[in-house]
Amino acid sequence: MIRAFFRSPSGIAGSCGVLLILLDSIFAPIIWGKRAKAFNVLQGDKGPSGKHWLGTDRLGHDIFYQLLVATRLTMEMALGATAIAILVGIPLGAGAALLPQRLRMIALRGLDTLIAFPSLLIAIAFAAVLNPGKTSAVVGVGVGLSFSFGRVASSLTLAIRDREFISAARVVGVGRMRLLVRHVLPNIADSLAIATTVSIAASVVTMAGLSFLGLGVQLPSIDWGRMLTTGVGSFYLTPFAAIGPGVAIALAALAFGFVGEALARASNPVLWANAGGGTSPRSTCDADTERADDPHESDAANVLEVNDLTVSFPIDKRREPIVRGVALDLAPGEMIGIVGESGSGKSLTAMAIAQLIPHPGQVGGRIALNGKDLQRVPLKDVDRTLGTSLAVVFQDPMSSLNPAMKIRNQLIEGARHHRGLSKAEAVLAARRRLREVNLPTPERQLERYPHELSGGQRQRVLIAMGLMNEPSVLIADEPTTALDVTVQAQIMDLLAGINAEHGTAVILISHNLALIAQNCDRVLVMYAGRVVEEMTAEQLKTQALHPYTQALLGAVPDMSQPRAEPLVSIPGQMPDVHSVPAGCAFHTRCALAVERCSIERPPLLLQTDRHRVACWVATGEPSAELPAHASVAAGEAS
Amino acid sequence: MALTTATLVPEGRTEAGRVAGLLSSPWLSFLRRRIISVVVILILLATVTFSLVRLIPGDPGIIIGGTSSTRAEQMAIDHRLGLDQSFLTQYGHYWSNLFHGNLGTSFVTQDPVTRILKQNAGASLQVAGAALLVVLLISIPGGIVLGALTRDQRHRQVENWFTAIASVIGALPELLVATLLAYFFALQLKIFPVGGTGGLTALVLPVVAISLRPIAILLRLVRVETLSALSTDYIRTARSKRLPTRTLYLRHVLPNVVTAALTIGGLLFADLIAGTVIVEAVFARRGLGTTLVNSVLSRDYPVIQGMVLVLGVAVVAANAVVDFLLASLDPRQISR
Repeated sequence: MIRAFFRSPSGIAGSCGVLLILLDSIFAPIIWGKRAKAFNVLQGDKGPSGKHWLGTDRLGHDIFYQLLVATRLTMEMALGATAIAILVGIPLGAGAALLPQRLRMIALRGLDTLIAFPSLLIAIAFAAVLNPGKTSAVVGVGVGLSFSFGRVASSLTLAIRDREFISAARVVGVGRMRLLVRHVLPNIADSLAIATTVSIAASVVTMAGLSFLGLGVQLPSIDWGRMLTTGVGSFYLTPFAAIGPGVAIALAALAFGFVGEALARASNPVLWANAGGGTSPRSTCDADTERADDPHESDAANVLEVNDLTVSFPIDKRREPIVRGVALDLAPGEMIGIVGESGSGKSLTAMAIAQLIPHPGQVGGRIALNGKDLQRVPLKDVDRTLGTSLAVVFQDPMSSLNPAMKIRNQLIEGARHHRGLSKAEAVLAARRRLREVNLPTPERQLERYPHELSGGQRQRVLIAMGLMNEPSVLIADEPTTALDVTVQAQIMDLLAGINAEHGTAVILISHNLALIAQNCDRVLVMYAGRVVEEMTAEQLKTQALHPYTQALLGAVPDMSQPRAEPLVSIPGQMPDVHSVPAGCAFHTRCALAVERCSIERPPLLLQTDRHRVACWVATGEPSAELPAHASVAAGEAS
Repeated sequence: MALTTATLVPEGRTEAGRVAGLLSSPWLSFLRRRIISVVVILILLATVTFSLVRLIPGDPGIIIGGTSSTRAEQMAIDHRLGLDQSFLTQYGHYWSNLFHGNLGTSFVTQDPVTRILKQNAGASLQVAGAALLVVLLISIPGGIVLGALTRDQRHRQVENWFTAIASVIGALPELLVATLLAYFFALQLKIFPVGGTGGLTALVLPVVAISLRPIAILLRLVRVETLSALSTDYIRTARSKRLPTRTLYLRHVLPNVVTAALTIGGLLFADLIAGTVIVEAVFARRGLGTTLVNSVLSRDYPVIQGMVLVLGVAVVAANAVVDFLLASLDPRQISR
């Protein structure tokens, strides 16, 4: 975290600024105290000159040196107010969070309201009670800011109270005080550090406002706010008398603000993620976007045809293909499965077909929907073509519905836009779809919000949503992974039913081979961004050829398997994008690999009827025949 | 038996069922909880205001009247403030006066505080209200556009410049901004009047002065919220429906961003009220802020109490409105 902090420009600039301000407030009164106090009435209200860099005030004080010296009082007051805010706020917030349920709710709501009171107003109220001056300003601003600390402390206490390590520490018998100091404080230190710097910045500005209103520092003491007030009075004679302290206040607020922001960035890199990751460079083969080795004959009857699909992302300023040369076709009413471990590129393939690859990813190859090549469809019609003939059901139904919209509006908007249905027609269609996905009382479901439905119900809604425009292709990306086992079977039955009744072709993406074998007509097995085997579900069960597919089959737990036997797993890991091995990407994990596998990549070749496989060993060609080709491929290994 | 038949009838089918459904709806319990908490907070606020005078260390009579005042004068002050009565009597009086709309009379002008309030509230509300409108109307669309521009790490230059400029503007005190604006636009360019309370043109500079900082803060927040909304699964779902960009942003992104913006907007409104106090002083505008500051300086306690109470109620009311809006935009808030 500290490294990240000092790596960000705002962290460096902010901490330099803060350091300067602190040094100045310590040493300036000692070094320049006399020069700041010296005055010459005859030289009053003069603009900047070589002698007085920021000019002079009415009595002829040098504004620049006054500014440097006034830093101490300004900082003392800001730090004092922040100290009060911390001392009052943290016990207040932590205490509120530890109250019993009902009282806690009331206390926290009260805290929320108190935060809304501007600290300037609270400080004015304090000035009304105490004599307006330094003390009332520091106490008032401190109390005003304490509520935000209270809020931070309360939410942190609540969040941490139930975490495992705290209970663990309790079980071990660590005392409360030790618990707080050793275990809780380090965990909330980040947030407190952020709140502290932000609070110092806020107090500098608020104090200046108070001084300006005559309710802060009283003459002859001077802080930046008091100087600003004096400067504003003679603004029209010499604006620098006001601009000087104004800029000082702004710079100080900026410095502390920057530090707070850099701390926030460093402690929560996910939220602020925009720093480019630095990984080591490496070489890859650029000849990876070649055409599919075994071009599929074009069949006009297919609802979907994909050829030579590549998806690439820039990594270290190079484009890395992550999905390479995928080809597939889908007949009307067919259900195919794409299976592979995570990282195999199966989801990216699906997203690429649905044209949902996020920036800066790039999709290459040919995708034809209902015989229409998407690249040839005029740009203005692409959305309608996709919106009416292809739908996607995503993995996590809990987060895939818009929480702020009623189910009804989420269901009907696509149909209304693409098919120009009236609202009444669209609602009628929506009801019909909800009934088809077996949701009881569709009228009532339509009026609900997503948070009122269970996960299984939401997935049904998402499927119904996909069906609204009667698409010819439905892509289901791990549709059951996030659901309970009992619900999983229901959702799969539903998809199978839709496939059978409506003739909607389905692409089912899953890492679960058994699920795919049970439901699909055909299966594509993907490894490291490529299709390594393609076959019918029947063939999968008995005649799988590729060693990877066989390994996957072996990894499927089977009821007949004796409990005592350990579960089979594939040794090694799926290579990441950076380090896909040369030759067959699987050879490093393959028990059958021969020399050729590490040199030359096996093409996806038709074996028997509808069965394609990319493996030298399985196709019975374990020895190399074209060394010229191999030398090109060998370049990949470096 | 009656219980089982009742559960068999689908809720909301019959008229009676609909009414019952409404009464037990989460909305009603939400409203009840919010109203209770607002009432509790208002009672606390009034009590704190009441205590202001009683908290003055020493004898308020001497402090208010000054050390040169005679004992009789000091007694008169104590009597007018009701300080010569028992605490409970004072508290009871205070409440009964509040209910009769009586906030006392000013020591300085002898005017009823309610009249002073009426004379000044309008001017302040104009500034704060106009500023709030400006802040929301600029920050929400602006932040969404910036978020859309910089999504998926596009336009890094735009992002860097925006962040830098917004941080600087966010650090500028209203005081300095107001003064600079007065200098350039009123004195040098003579486009707007230097001060005063009359007319729309006199409103421009104060509103700009207090809006800049909240705009900078809210723009950044809305941008980040837009970015996180754009990366959600539900936006991906909406994208998969191939809706036009306009619909995607207006129907799917905006409502989810507005909830976050409003949460902060409530706090910013309080900031705007504080800013109003400052700019009223800079631009010599009549208003609650000027009145409050003057009454503190002249120790005019009845007026101070009145102002603190009214400004406090404004903050509480703004928060209640925000809560209500949030609940109607994001149904999940109701059950909280």
